[in-house]
Amino acid sequence: METLVLIGIVNGLVVGGIYALIGLSLTVLYGVLRVVNFAHGEFVIGGSFLAYVLFNSLGIAPLMALPIAAVTFFAAGWLAYYLLLPRLSRSDDPEIMSFLMMYGVSIALAAIMLILFEADSRSIDYSFSPISLKIGPVYVSTARLVALGVTLVISLALTAFLFGTLHGKALRAAIMNREALQIVGVDIVKLSAFAFALATGLAGVTGVLIALVFPAFNPFSGAEYSIIGFIVVVLGGLGSPIGALIAGLIYGLAEQLATVFLPQAMAPVVGFLILVGTILVRPTGILGYRAKR
Amino acid sequence: MTAAIEVQDLRKHFGGLAALDGVTLQAQAGEVLGIIGVNGAGKTTLMNCICGIYRADTGRVLIDGADMTGLAPHQIAHAGIGRTFQIPRVFRRMSLIDNLLVPVLDRRDKDGALIDSAEAMLAQMRLVDLRHNLAEELSGGQQKLLEMARMLMPDPQVVMLDEPFAGVHPTLCRFMIEQIEAMAAARKTVLLISHDLTAIYRLSHRVAALNQGRVIAEGTVTQIRGNPAVVEAYLGN
Repeated sequence: METLVLIGIVNGLVVGGIYALIGLSLTVLYGVLRVVNFAHGEFVIGGSFLAYVLFNSLGIAPLMALPIAAVTFFAAGWLAYYLLLPRLSRSDDPEIMSFLMMYGVSIALAAIMLILFEADSRSIDYSFSPISLKIGPVYVSTARLVALGVTLVISLALTAFLFGTLHGKALRAAIMNREALQIVGVDIVKLSAFAFALATGLAGVTGVLIALVFPAFNPFSGAEYSIIGFIVVVLGGLGSPIGALIAGLIYGLAEQLATVFLPQAMAPVVGFLILVGTILVRPTGILGYRAKR
Repeated sequence: MTAAIEVQDLRKHFGGLAALDGVTLQAQAGEVLGIIGVNGAGKTTLMNCICGIYRADTGRVLIDGADMTGLAPHQIAHAGIGRTFQIPRVFRRMSLIDNLLVPVLDRRDKDGALIDSAEAMLAQMRLVDLRHNLAEELSGGQQKLLEMARMLMPDPQVVMLDEPFAGVHPTLCRFMIEQIEAMAAARKTVLLISHDLTAIYRLSHRVAALNQGRVIAEGTVTQIRGNPAVVEAYLGN
């Protein structure tokens, strides 16, 4: 049993790291733009398909696909922002309008991936050498350890950016008070475009990691990741990047440890129970606070 | 002489309500223009239109003769307008230093020079010992000082202060008054909204009284004090 728990913890950290990246992207997006990006999961799966195409067509390994996905999706996010979002701010209720529009984008992206790749689940037939490493009494897949390392590096880099650079501080300031930020001279449209591009770039990278870690993905997997991302955002506290990172790890650990003690199908239920419990005990989330807008 | 700030026939409607109904004002460099009026007179709407948070239906705002009409708030801020809010809008979960660095993030100065400037500004506002604290840890009055410091960081030529004395301890009020006097002495144009008429009358070179979105009187403190239209707006017939 101890071995199973250890495996559960390692898997929880790997999966939690991926959830943390999704949650972090969504919390920055919502905080800066007030956009509920329901299409984020499709961008993530788009990253998985990009890694799939790069590997199967060009022989590019998933690790090399990471920077390609980051740049490609960053650029796509930048374009998508200017194409879709600035006009929304003129509507009566930008938040609801953004939710509806991004839901539409989610359906459209899933349909495009369906046309391009059909409905069958895909996977990347790539393995590291050695395939697994022994950590204490358990063997862990090298791919999962690499994914954990990558999520750790990205999380640290993002934290350093958000808390250590002036532009990162501007992003956090936008989360705290968008209007005040404009008044002090910051171009909120440019900043929003950057935030959207950053989140989409992260989605692409996360997708590559998913292709590396999970056995399969298909054009309809995106919605599941969007929902998990929103749970992580609420769990961590709306607009709290560090909260999202912590919540992602908690959710991943809970989900994976649940599979040790409970039937596999119960894993998502445990995640939802944690969400409901958090909302009841601490409605603002782990590191959230009552926003004064 | 070109006015530091000039507002020409500004109108803003919310549905059927005329929040601003043809406001025309101007102020010179180094002048403190007090703006008074009962609640709902249009004072804050005027500031929101000047700084670009609201887009006026018609009318123009000129800064040093340059037309600001239709510009975004950040462009108006770059043109040299700073403001504070009645309820301070500081970046609550950031340190005081970081609050002051955000407005100057596009500056090419070295980080160290910016931090020195920010610390000097905090020292001026008697907040330097708290520079690494989060803004949310400050009292309401201190948050107003922090917001004032943040406004002054990019060195704006026109500053708009919305109810700076509301809910502030008298000792802090006196300190704020000194700061506003220092801004005027530094040739900044100050637009000052306050219900504290004692402070308004002490600080203002001229006063404009608003009622129902219109300027009902404008002049020196002495002229405004005895103006029957102002008395009627405040006290009724």
